[in-house]
Amino acid sequence: MVNSEAPNIYSITEDEIDINGLVDKITLTSTGAAAIFSGMVRGITERDDPHQTTYLEYDSYIPMAEAMMKQVAGEIRERWPSIQGIAIVQRIGRLYPRTPTVLIACSAAHRDTGVFEAARYGIDRLKEIVPVWKKEVGPQGEEWVEGEYIPRSGE
Amino acid sequence: MNKVSILFFATLRDQAGVKTSMMEIRPGETIAELKDDLVKEFPKLAGLMEHSLVSINHEYHFDESVIPENAEVAFFPPVSGGNS
Repeated sequence: MVNSEAPNIYSITEDEIDINGLVDKITLTSTGAAAIFSGMVRGITERDDPHQTTYLEYDSYIPMAEAMMKQVAGEIRERWPSIQGIAIVQRIGRLYPRTPTVLIACSAAHRDTGVFEAARYGIDRLKEIVPVWKKEVGPQGEEWVEGEYIPRSGE
Repeated sequence: MNKVSILFFATLRDQAGVKTSMMEIRPGETIAELKDDLVKEFPKLAGLMEHSLVSINHEYHFDESVIPENAEVAFFPPVSGGNS
């Protein structure tokens, strides 16, 4: 029997994110829906503080990031037990505008069982607790972008 | 004395000037005390420590946590992964 297990995929990689390959890995014979979120490097920012980005340099504390991705997947499964497969991938290194940097995909038997919400929850949590940082480099110079979220004890 | 390995990321790495460091700490030493020791060793970290996140062996911890022997302790800013 092929693909009968509920797969969890966590990865921090310098390689290109293979969206088709990842979706294939979380597709079971009983899967009928997958919600896929991908974030990419934005070269021109118009909202809030308008600026241009030449590239972003991503770094990660890899073993902890993998542990935190596993935690995010566990939280998703607790909230949406109907989820079948979860893939969470963060690309690191120097990434230029239009390049996908992150992917969260959740699969389920049907689209009305929480797949959209699960993927949304996954990216929001990733940005809170998974130790990845980016340095923004543009015409104005370079600086580390800092998040705002302070994890609670036990997170 | 206990040995712990220290890791810095992002701004803290730039300011410390190193990626990793070994430190000797007293048995029962807390994160808050280790922060003070690190600022003595790496004066440029002064002012950054209060806003930094801390992990012990890949789990988030806070000032009052006691550091176990041979721990891996990391210091870093609030995370900013995902997309831009």
